[in-house]
Amino acid sequence: MTDVAQTTAQAPGDLDERSPWRLSLSVGFLALPMLAFLSIFFFYPAANLLFYSLLSQDAKGIIGRPFTLSHYVHIAEVDLYLKVFWNTLQIAFVTSIVAIVMAYPVAITMVKSNAIVNRVISLIVIAPLIVSVVVRAYGWQLILVNTPTGLLNWLLLTLHIINEPLELLYTKTAVVIGSLHVFFPMMVLPLASALGKIDPNLEDAARMLGAPWWKVFARVTLPLSVPGLVAGFTLVFSLTAGSFVIPVLLGGTSSTMLGNLIEQQIFVVYDWPFGATIAVVLVIVVFAINALSMRILEGRRFRRIAS
Amino acid sequence: MSGRLEGVGAWVLYCVTAAMMIFILAPLLVVMSVSVSDSYFVTFPPQGFTLSWYAKVLQDRDFLDALGLSAVLAFCTTMGSLLLGVPAAFALVRGSFLGQSFLKSLVLSPLVFPALVTGLALLQLLSSLGSGDARVNLLIGHIVVTAPYVVRTVVSSLQLMDINLEEAARTLGANRMKTFWRVTLPQIAPGVAAGSLFAFMVSFDNYPISMWLANSEYSPVPLVLMRQLVNVFDPSVPAMSTIIILLAVVGVLILERLVGLRRAVAI
Repeated sequence: MTDVAQTTAQAPGDLDERSPWRLSLSVGFLALPMLAFLSIFFFYPAANLLFYSLLSQDAKGIIGRPFTLSHYVHIAEVDLYLKVFWNTLQIAFVTSIVAIVMAYPVAITMVKSNAIVNRVISLIVIAPLIVSVVVRAYGWQLILVNTPTGLLNWLLLTLHIINEPLELLYTKTAVVIGSLHVFFPMMVLPLASALGKIDPNLEDAARMLGAPWWKVFARVTLPLSVPGLVAGFTLVFSLTAGSFVIPVLLGGTSSTMLGNLIEQQIFVVYDWPFGATIAVVLVIVVFAINALSMRILEGRRFRRIAS
Repeated sequence: MSGRLEGVGAWVLYCVTAAMMIFILAPLLVVMSVSVSDSYFVTFPPQGFTLSWYAKVLQDRDFLDALGLSAVLAFCTTMGSLLLGVPAAFALVRGSFLGQSFLKSLVLSPLVFPALVTGLALLQLLSSLGSGDARVNLLIGHIVVTAPYVVRTVVSSLQLMDINLEEAARTLGANRMKTFWRVTLPQIAPGVAAGSLFAFMVSFDNYPISMWLANSEYSPVPLVLMRQLVNVFDPSVPAMSTIIILLAVVGVLILERLVGLRRAVAI
């Protein structure tokens, strides 16, 4: 009742100036529950993890002071850990690059073809996103099995393309294939939305001026789609670097990644400070890639303004 | 639509795209085809045809318990994410206060953080607090990663909606609650639906968070499946996987029906 009285009593000018301000402040409080929840169960524990990685563990296994950077030094000094670190970077990088190459044709087809084709492609690209990673990695296990009973080997042997079964499962290649499959939508979708924003007249103009299709792509389409490309790269890289299931099911002992190392340190060795340290390293890798892509995008915007 | 594809370039594109579609579908189809195989080991090509593995799986207590736990967990996670996420989205779109964009990046930050590390950090906190109930721990962990999805989809539908409609309702005498239920909510319903379904499915399939917070008594489906994968080699594993694939397909179809897939996943 008071509400109605208020609305009718307000002069139009009042509605524009005073009430939106007051409204906006009270609306702001609506974010408090989520902020409080995340502070307790996300920000605080994440900060605590960083703190943990600086603690030392004595001979009796008691964790406490003094603060130390020795765990970080430990990663850099022990060959095994360093190898896992490089493995992670290498697998995440190769996966992202291959994903870019594979995603372009799909994204272009999505944007340029009719509504039905677009819908079918969207459905096929997005649907597996919702199927558990465990199931998808298992599917790849069945395809890549190193004996003649694996789908790929069976197919290639039956067609007489190879004489000996390939050794694909439990290699880095298998991890890259599995990661590609799981994170491919994260590359296609941002790319398709960036391509959708390009004015088709620009491509037509280039074509009319005599450029062959690959030149149109290299000089017009590719440069204009960089924002989608960078977004996709960042997502795929970050997700691959932090994966756990795929290296366990598809990678051998030589393709262990940071995620597996963390799990091992916590559940097998019970070395919490060192587990926390590896987790911090993983976060740093992911954030570095994020920061780098932000810089690339901002650099582009800056250049465009300057020119 | 102009800018259509022509010539050699178009053929190359279509072929590569078709190959990619096969690449995406292959592992799922392989799992499904092996699940009806008659032999006691998973081999390719599948031999014979039987549905007996499904009969076996549907009597497997561990698997059914896990399915039940995952369903309840995903439902509670979705409710929790909506309770936290929808108001937060309102604050981000409708409020105008200092540090709003900072607040937005704070609220969405669990999306860019490696989930594995989120789970580990949470495990450390919860074990130091002495919280022994895995179900509560799982719920908290899942809400941390799903609530940002709800915020994101609701934010984008709030930005799309016409605010004048709300003002019209208010001018016509509807109070704030009535405006919200009768005008605002129906307009953002697709975003809320997409966010809910996303939260549900992310929670249902979550591995990296559950891995830390589950215990032997309460394990969600992905963990049970992973355990089976390492220990069991008969086609009951593909049968379980196929059931999960089919559940996902149902989810996708609902999402497509309700909001349209592309809109739902627009980043």
